[in-house]
Amino acid sequence: MGKAFRLSTEFMAGILAGAGLGYALDTFAGTRPWGMIILLMLGFGAGIWNVMRASGFTRPPAPPPDRPD
Amino acid sequence: MADPIHQFELKTIGAPLFKIGGSDIVLTNSALFMFGAVAFIVALMLMGTSARSMVPSRIQSVVEMLYEFVADTVRSSAGHDGMKFFPLVFSLFIFILVLNLAGMIPGGFTVTSHIIITAALAAVVILTVIIYGIMAHGTHFFGLFVPSGVHPLMLIILVPIEVISFISRPISLSVRLFANMLAGHIALKIFAGFIGSLLAAGAWGLLSPLPLALTVALTALEVLVAVLQAYVFATLTSIYLHDALHPGH
Repeated sequence: MGKAFRLSTEFMAGILAGAGLGYALDTFAGTRPWGMIILLMLGFGAGIWNVMRASGFTRPPAPPPDRPD
Repeated sequence: MADPIHQFELKTIGAPLFKIGGSDIVLTNSALFMFGAVAFIVALMLMGTSARSMVPSRIQSVVEMLYEFVADTVRSSAGHDGMKFFPLVFSLFIFILVLNLAGMIPGGFTVTSHIIITAALAAVVILTVIIYGIMAHGTHFFGLFVPSGVHPLMLIILVPIEVISFISRPISLSVRLFANMLAGHIALKIFAGFIGSLLAAGAWGLLSPLPLALTVALTALEVLVAVLQAYVFATLTSIYLHDALHPGH
């Protein structure tokens, strides 16, 4: 359950961030509705990317091995 | 049936303390629980570290285990040089842990079920990552957003996606903690409310042990979730700090 919840919030956060950025861009740059449309789609991409990273589907570059000391 | 949302209501305690810019600054039950949690943590740490004996007392071994647990998390997720952020991660972990567990006391108040609290904690984490990353690596820090080994044309799409993905981190960090605590406590309250409703409904009262059993099981699950979410918050903080320390991928 913890894992499923983690993945769903990752996906949701990507979309929310995209939508929020698009809305801010539209409000300040006056590009309504294109900023929202494009950034929402990119937000979907970012959400899926988040999920893939969180589920270990794409292995991020391994952290450097700890030096024993 | 009892209102399941009522337990999250903010209440003011006593008269307004002072005014800032025309708005009253009052002590709420949320602030009271946070003060209580800090006092509890400080007392635990002081009691645990005052004796410093070779054969630890109970409290000292609790404090030592907490230290070792968080230190292992930081070392494995943020790398060895991530230990310079150990005080931050430890403070966040123990603060969230104590607040989550305080919410499990009957009649208690779950501070972490308010998104403004978790969002503030996530903002602390992400601002630390950004400020330290820029201080330590300068513009090289923004290499975080440029995946290596891709065709330059693909970067037009991939860089905005990486930026949005980075911005979504504090959102997912805060939403996960808040939603877990909120949903768990609401579910607990609803199932507990079923017991009273069934008992009041005549012969249906024979079924009331079923929600009672579920409530007991859910309480155990909620204690697990309270500890797990504090651990997840600390782990993700360490992973994000790893990006600040080594942004180059």
